[in-house]
Amino acid sequence: MTTTPPVLPPAAGPDVPHPPPSPPGAGPRGRRSGAAPWLAVALVLALALAGYLWVTTTEWQRTSQEWQDEANRYASEAATLDQQLDGANAEVDAAREQLAAATGRISELANEKAQLGDENVASRQHLDYQARVSQAAAKVAVALGQCVNAQDQLIGYLEDADAYDPAGLTRFKDEVGELCDKANDANQALQEELRS
Amino acid sequence: MRRGTWRAWGLATLIAVTTAGCGVLPPLPEPVPSEITPSGAAGLEPALGSDPLSPDGFDAVQRMAVRVRNVGCDELSTGSGFAIDKHTLITNKHVVADSSNLQVSTYDGRDIDVGTAATAALADLAIVRTRDALPSFPELAEADPEQGDDVTIIGYPSGGELTISSGLVIGSTRDPLNANLGEVLVTDAKVEPGSSGSAALDSQGRVIGVVYAKTADDDSLLVPISTVREMLSDSAAFEDVTTCTGS
Repeated sequence: MTTTPPVLPPAAGPDVPHPPPSPPGAGPRGRRSGAAPWLAVALVLALALAGYLWVTTTEWQRTSQEWQDEANRYASEAATLDQQLDGANAEVDAAREQLAAATGRISELANEKAQLGDENVASRQHLDYQARVSQAAAKVAVALGQCVNAQDQLIGYLEDADAYDPAGLTRFKDEVGELCDKANDANQALQEELRS
Repeated sequence: MRRGTWRAWGLATLIAVTTAGCGVLPPLPEPVPSEITPSGAAGLEPALGSDPLSPDGFDAVQRMAVRVRNVGCDELSTGSGFAIDKHTLITNKHVVADSSNLQVSTYDGRDIDVGTAATAALADLAIVRTRDALPSFPELAEADPEQGDDVTIIGYPSGGELTISSGLVIGSTRDPLNANLGEVLVTDAKVEPGSSGSAALDSQGRVIGVVYAKTADDDSLLVPISTVREMLSDSAAFEDVTTCTGS
């Protein structure tokens, strides 16, 4: 059961214009009609927001898939490069070993060449020495031969000493002695040289 | 009036919320680029444990060393030396003395054509000028090493293979052979006859001295780099070697 409020009679006094009486039920309907545009705007905004989010989501999904594909491609490339790097490293190790062997061999050959050079020089010096010794021996032999010849000659003179001037014989004897002394000295020096 | 105010406030609030909401919405993604480049260039450092590259696989210290053959009038001797520039090498005075012919060869067996040789009067040092270019030459240290510093000697002990020996600087002493003016360095790196003229290097590969003798205790004696520098800076310190002419 509802009660209606009492309707007051208009106040006496000068005529004051009054707003026209609103029809019953006009207040709430007016508020609803005032909220409608807001609701419409909110609905449009919500729809726009939903549309944007949908577009954004699908774009992110698409780019995410593309990145995933890129990542897979690079991972595959990295795996391939890793294998190639392993192969290259193995080849580099082998090359290093070969280089070490080659440098070691070069050092050995350089040393062999140096030793052969030393031996060659030493041999040449020895040959020079032998040649000098041979020349000296030849000179000594000649000197000794001259000594022997001179002594033979002196013996011949002495066997017939009366036929010669004694002073000349003595001088010849001294000369032969001097020649033989020199030959002996040379022979002595040669022997010492050969012994050293 | 009151309703209009509320509407204005509502509209302002709606605009503010919408604007703020747009700010927190996720943006559209950037397109995936066709080529992806690394953000930073990869470092090109040599791999750990790998040796530095050289033109032919030999170290710089090996490339600078030379073997000196002194063909005398009556006898043969060998020594060591090292390049200090493209056409100059240093060795000992006694390595080049009494020679009729000096022959120089490199680490790989190449013969180097020798020009002139000159010896220092006040140190057991000699300079040999070459007509052929020498393969490599080291840097000379600025100062003498300290006691305890590392030393590496590279040369041809006993006229054999190119050999590297290492040790420490023991100290300095007066030259027992009186071949050098001033003090000489003593190290415990092993040397042999034939090592004379070898370069002694510090840990950075710089020349700190020249081997010229060994002691009875098997220590090696070096002409210090300060003496070498002093001699090199004085053009009058070296005199041309007189060669023997044979007997």
